[in-house]
Amino acid sequence: MSGTPSNRSAADIGGDDAGPVDTLDRGMKFWERQANALRSVVQRNQIVLVDELRRAAEDLGDLYSKLEYFERTTLALRALLIEKGLVTEEELEARMAEIRARFDVPDEMESPIKRGASR
Amino acid sequence: MTPGLRTRGAAPFPSTYAPAPGHRFKVGERVAVKRRFPPGHRRTPHYIRGKTGVIERICGAFPNPEELAYGFDGEPKKVLYRVRFAQTSVWPAYRGPARDLIEMEIFEHWLEPA
Repeated sequence: MSGTPSNRSAADIGGDDAGPVDTLDRGMKFWERQANALRSVVQRNQIVLVDELRRAAEDLGDLYSKLEYFERTTLALRALLIEKGLVTEEELEARMAEIRARFDVPDEMESPIKRGASR
Repeated sequence: MTPGLRTRGAAPFPSTYAPAPGHRFKVGERVAVKRRFPPGHRRTPHYIRGKTGVIERICGAFPNPEELAYGFDGEPKKVLYRVRFAQTSVWPAYRGPARDLIEMEIFEHWLEPA
């Protein structure tokens, strides 16, 4: 879903102008560590493959270039877990609402999924 | 056919080389990358499509990632080559030395004789 006639994926940017490279290490946010751990476990157990994660990230289309790394990989994982029937959209939404209700999540710890809803 | 690396002493980590019987191209042969633009998850970047290079090595045969990406088993395996290109032939405005190279690993189904 690149949206271009040549079917160039959102990840295929070799040769494009990229501007200056941001080399500042900002560490990982709380949700990024959590999401990355989950991604690592499901990948290690071959529930999802790296090739599937790449494809699902590319399928984000125009959103791909607007997101940070862990936002992409987390949305890709979310799409794959739903695609494979391991979790439903409804279960995920319900669980997220339940957890969010337990405490007031600061913006910087918020997951991209909630923010994605307003994009 | 040999990968050329990690042949002496104990390898620090196992080679990922996989045998590639029945490979179509041999080392040193000139090949062109197919100028095709199919949709889907593709492992050959756009900027190299249509370019001509030389087979530098045969990396082995591996499950096809363009199939694995959609939940299939990636069989039959595809032969992966490392292909060497002159930078000046890849980037029209390349200003570095003419001897500069770019090497890329490309699956057999993306290559044709040049």
